[in-house]
Amino acid sequence: MNAEVNGALREKVREIYRHIQDNLYFNRPDMEVKGEAFNAGLLMGLLTGLSQGKELIIGEPGLGKTTSAEYICTLLYRIPLGTIWGSEVPGHPEQTEEKIIGRPDLGKLNQGEEVVVWSHFALLPVKIVDEINRLPETKQSMILDGVDRGNWEYLNDAIINREYCLFATANYQDRGTNTIIAPLIDRFDVMVESKHPGPNLAYLIGAQGPNGAALRHEELEGEFQRVMSERLPYQVRMERIGEICDRFGEALAREAGIESLSEEDRQTIRSQKEEIPLELDFNAFLRFVLAELSFCCRYGQKRSHEGCEEGCHFTEYLCNTVRNCVSNRLPISARNFAQTLAWLLGDEKVGLEHLKAVLPFTLAHRIQWKDEIVAQREKEARSDPLEIYMAKQAVREMHRRYMEQGTQVKSALAVACRIMDGASMEPIQGDHPIYWEIRKDLGEEVFKE
Amino acid sequence: MRNPFLDFRSLPYEKKEIPLDRIVRAKQEIMDRVLEGYLHLVEEEVKDLVWLVEHSHVVRTYSAAVNCIRELHYDQDDIEEFCAELDSAKKIPYMISGPAGIYLSALINHAPEERIVLRPKDYDRTFHFLGYRLPESKTLIIQGNVGDFIGAGLSGGRLVVEGSVGNWCGAGMMNGEILVTGYAGQKTGEWMRGGEIHVDGSIGSLGRSRFGGKIYQRGKLVIPQELDDQY
Repeated sequence: MNAEVNGALREKVREIYRHIQDNLYFNRPDMEVKGEAFNAGLLMGLLTGLSQGKELIIGEPGLGKTTSAEYICTLLYRIPLGTIWGSEVPGHPEQTEEKIIGRPDLGKLNQGEEVVVWSHFALLPVKIVDEINRLPETKQSMILDGVDRGNWEYLNDAIINREYCLFATANYQDRGTNTIIAPLIDRFDVMVESKHPGPNLAYLIGAQGPNGAALRHEELEGEFQRVMSERLPYQVRMERIGEICDRFGEALAREAGIESLSEEDRQTIRSQKEEIPLELDFNAFLRFVLAELSFCCRYGQKRSHEGCEEGCHFTEYLCNTVRNCVSNRLPISARNFAQTLAWLLGDEKVGLEHLKAVLPFTLAHRIQWKDEIVAQREKEARSDPLEIYMAKQAVREMHRRYMEQGTQVKSALAVACRIMDGASMEPIQGDHPIYWEIRKDLGEEVFKE
Repeated sequence: MRNPFLDFRSLPYEKKEIPLDRIVRAKQEIMDRVLEGYLHLVEEEVKDLVWLVEHSHVVRTYSAAVNCIRELHYDQDDIEEFCAELDSAKKIPYMISGPAGIYLSALINHAPEERIVLRPKDYDRTFHFLGYRLPESKTLIIQGNVGDFIGAGLSGGRLVVEGSVGNWCGAGMMNGEILVTGYAGQKTGEWMRGGEIHVDGSIGSLGRSRFGGKIYQRGKLVIPQELDDQY
């Protein structure tokens, strides 16, 4: 029974992917996972929606960054397009906390009561921030907590989204954009580019005209508006919103023949994907990657304000090419997305292939490359933006290294486990940072002060 | 601290070696056995840590050295490394020049290579007895100055010293050739029975007891002179 439910849900999600790909967001497949071709932007968007992730979509203006997120949210969360448009937060220098999160109820305030009117952005489970890098750095910190935990605070009130996903778009640097601050960018699970689809698909977009009409429903959009404006407790409002979502889902199926996911479907998918076990290779490779991106033999770990020592022995590893230390959010993102991908592909275990597929997108925005490395690589022929291209190359390099010494790395981890359990053994040694990190965990002083 | 490796608890482990590890370990094993042989020799032959250069003593020590290395598979690199160990004396508690040189000579005489080059100029210690009983078909080239009894008992081999030698060079040599580009010390060619010694530099003195062989200095035959006079 479980397998049947699993298969039916998976088919539903794949149908959503196909529908968006064939009718709404035209783009070329640009990645392959286990022999199946996908468009990275669309696939990562779908995984973001399914796994309650956070995605940063970069690209040139007008290439479907926001639109693709809107379509995905509409079909995965059964929220009409018009309602999503109304809840989007545009990034601009004049943006305020009152427009993003909530404002005081002025009528109640006149009566001496502090009641918060929450924004649709804070209330709805799908959140889209358009052109996030047009928010000044000082204002980006306003949404840090909400982006990270779905925790929105205003005055003395707070709501915590029980389910949410976030999409943010960012244009390439121009005079109106700002840098996305490091703590905010690290909170995104993945970064993808919404690419130009090529002239032939672009022609079809022009010939077909706006194509999201089927995803609108004015009557239900009105109801959404009404329920969200009611002064009811958050949970009650969300239940009512859930009912309208289901009605919209039924309308979509009835009127347009489009499949969508109910909240129950999404919860089922999440619990199913959580049950998919991780292979030991997934486990060991992720540790291997984390070691390369956090290791420093001289200063104990990478720190963005400390450079590498001249003549360092570990020049063959990524620690020598990056400035910063990778955060603890990386393994969370990588596991979450790889597991969701394995679910989507119907695999019984989460393995190296799933991890390899998602890693570049989880790393691209998190790695700060050294200037000299960027200078060396930026002119290389490529089909991705530099950050994603370099992340893909880095994953390829690390994977090659792992394939050469994966068995040894797993043995080193197995031996370390036994040593921690009290066995009297020598840790397996090797050149890769993971071996040194294992020895540090075992209490060895590997580099004397 | 929580055990972060628990996922790997049931994984059987294997220590995979890269070829370099294997090579290094094999080399180390050979060196350990070479050193062990030397220490054994010293223990057996130099019980009081005093070793007198007597013919019977030298012969016995050489036989013991040959026994020590009988089943060893080593090459010139190992001999060089042993020289370095002797020089640094990190792993060798006592270095006694005579037995050390005889042991080295045994290693050289039984090495698979026909031509062996040693570089005592790289070391601080003075090596004695090098080329002892060097057999026919072997060529030993020594780059640098060496000590006493160089080429003693030479048995048909060719010994080239690119430097100077100490006293008793070629003592009791049977056959073969010794070429010294520097000077030779006292009693050169003592108890010599055959073969030739060529010295490009000065010779301190010649051995008084000789039973054959020829000694040349700067290309000129100096021993036996009566032969030279005949020509």
